[in-house]
Amino acid sequence: MTVLELQQVTKTFGSGRTKVEALKETNFRANKKELIAIIGPSGSGKSTFLTIVGGLLSPTSGEVILNGKTISGMVERERSQVRLGEIGFVLQASNLVPFLTVDKQMKLLDQVKKGNMDNKELKQLYDDLGIEELRKKYPADLSGGERQRVAIAKALYTNPSIILADEPTASLDSDRAYEVMELLKHETKSKETTTIVVTHDIRLTEYCDKVYKMTDGILTLEGNGDE
Amino acid sequence: MFLAWNEIIKNKLRFTLITGVLLLVAYLVFFLSGLATGLKNLNREAVDNWKADAVVLTEESDKSLYQSSLTIDQAQEVKADETAILGQMSAIANNGDKKTNVSLFGIRSDEFLMPAISEGDPFSADKEVVADASLKEDGFKIGDELSISSTDIKLKIVGFMESSRFNASPVLYMDLDTLNRVKYGEAVEANEDRINAVVIRGQEPEKAVSDNSLEVIETETFIKNLPGYTEQNLTLTFMIYFLFIISSVIVAIFLYVLTVQKISMFGVMKAQGISSFYLSRSVIAQTFLLAFVGVAFGLVLALATGAFLPAAVPVSFDIPTMLIYGGILVVVAIAGAVFSVLTIVRIDPLKAIGG
Repeated sequence: MTVLELQQVTKTFGSGRTKVEALKETNFRANKKELIAIIGPSGSGKSTFLTIVGGLLSPTSGEVILNGKTISGMVERERSQVRLGEIGFVLQASNLVPFLTVDKQMKLLDQVKKGNMDNKELKQLYDDLGIEELRKKYPADLSGGERQRVAIAKALYTNPSIILADEPTASLDSDRAYEVMELLKHETKSKETTTIVVTHDIRLTEYCDKVYKMTDGILTLEGNGDE
Repeated sequence: MFLAWNEIIKNKLRFTLITGVLLLVAYLVFFLSGLATGLKNLNREAVDNWKADAVVLTEESDKSLYQSSLTIDQAQEVKADETAILGQMSAIANNGDKKTNVSLFGIRSDEFLMPAISEGDPFSADKEVVADASLKEDGFKIGDELSISSTDIKLKIVGFMESSRFNASPVLYMDLDTLNRVKYGEAVEANEDRINAVVIRGQEPEKAVSDNSLEVIETETFIKNLPGYTEQNLTLTFMIYFLFIISSVIVAIFLYVLTVQKISMFGVMKAQGISSFYLSRSVIAQTFLLAFVGVAFGLVLALATGAFLPAAVPVSFDIPTMLIYGGILVVVAIAGAVFSVLTIVRIDPLKAIGG
């Protein structure tokens, strides 16, 4: 089942001699339970792609369709609602609020959105991610790997249909990075969500169902992670 | 409130300092307001006790009781529901031990200016006076014989009354004849029908006189024209208003710095779909909480200070006024948070997450 679809999406910055085509005409489709990697060097257009998919940036042309709704034509307030309800973000720098404990990071989401996980589901999520013991701790008391696991929990807590992860392992050593990818894969399958990971670390692609390569704004399917 | 409260709990020292600054500003505002009220009372409480609607003075006196001089015959022409004649002079009273400035009021004991006695007896005979109770703190007591400057006549304190100061001096009430003897000395016979004012109660006081040489002045206007009264009040009121502005600026600076430090965090939250409205509401709630606590403690501290101040310090706390000032302080603090709210609204989540 298709969750996300990009139809002839382009993104151009500037005009005239300063014009930069950050994303050339792109068609893309992501299905439920897929873990997809977007790889490519810095400046290739990966982040532009992710921010357009995440409703943070409007495409110059084309359409972004999430769960049947065209989000590319929405105003910021509507896109904000879509981000809150349907997209989970895992960012390179931890996206945790520094003055909230792990438990309260989730309660914050309860303040702004209904229909999140119930206590039983949250307990299961904590167990899956191995962060049950960290519930009362503040982000500053967590290691880099623990912070990313909490960030994944936060992204999953609102039952999003898609998770967008921007270099989620950049600040981690190899073992922790593999651990985080393993978790993302597991949660993608078990929660029946879709995850798109933007990374420049090619070793992480072995966990992914599909791997796309971004080169100078052109997105091409490389194959699945085992290839 | 969830974000606001949790941030305060996690950063207690930081927010205690901000609240502390607000507390000190509030304390200063409350103390100045107490001082303003105290100084006002010092000037006007005798007049307030009259519960009068207006005062009739001569037109040429320029609304000054001291400069007004009319006759009892003129006073009889004043038409109002109730009238009371008033003679006045300022002097130094000496009981042999202490000297103090006093305001002497000559009245008729059967008219409404006759004060309520809190201790002792009302004056009934010649040279007897009823004194303001504040003189007791200066060592004056019932039975004291008072020497009055510029006359050999001695006045005897027969009773005390509460809260009766006029233009910063305690008042001695006496019969008009006694006052005129003190005031005019040997020339009393030529001036025995002289008074300074007629105090009136009743509807439409402006219609009380037909004599063009007399002027009806509403009580509040009369008080405002007391020497130094308006200038003193304006000075203190301006100080209080400036403190409102200062507290708003202090809060604005503190919150703006805090908000700038959290731009990245707010940006990430906005990227996650948390609205600017929710975040702004959180900042406003936080400001309200800090300002409310600061102002409440400032109020308590001011009242506590007032309880320990010597009677010579003219501080009088008017709770309704203090509550209004406290409310204004909270409102201006919230106004100071507007800069932070604007900053939050302008945060681009894309930049915050490094897109």
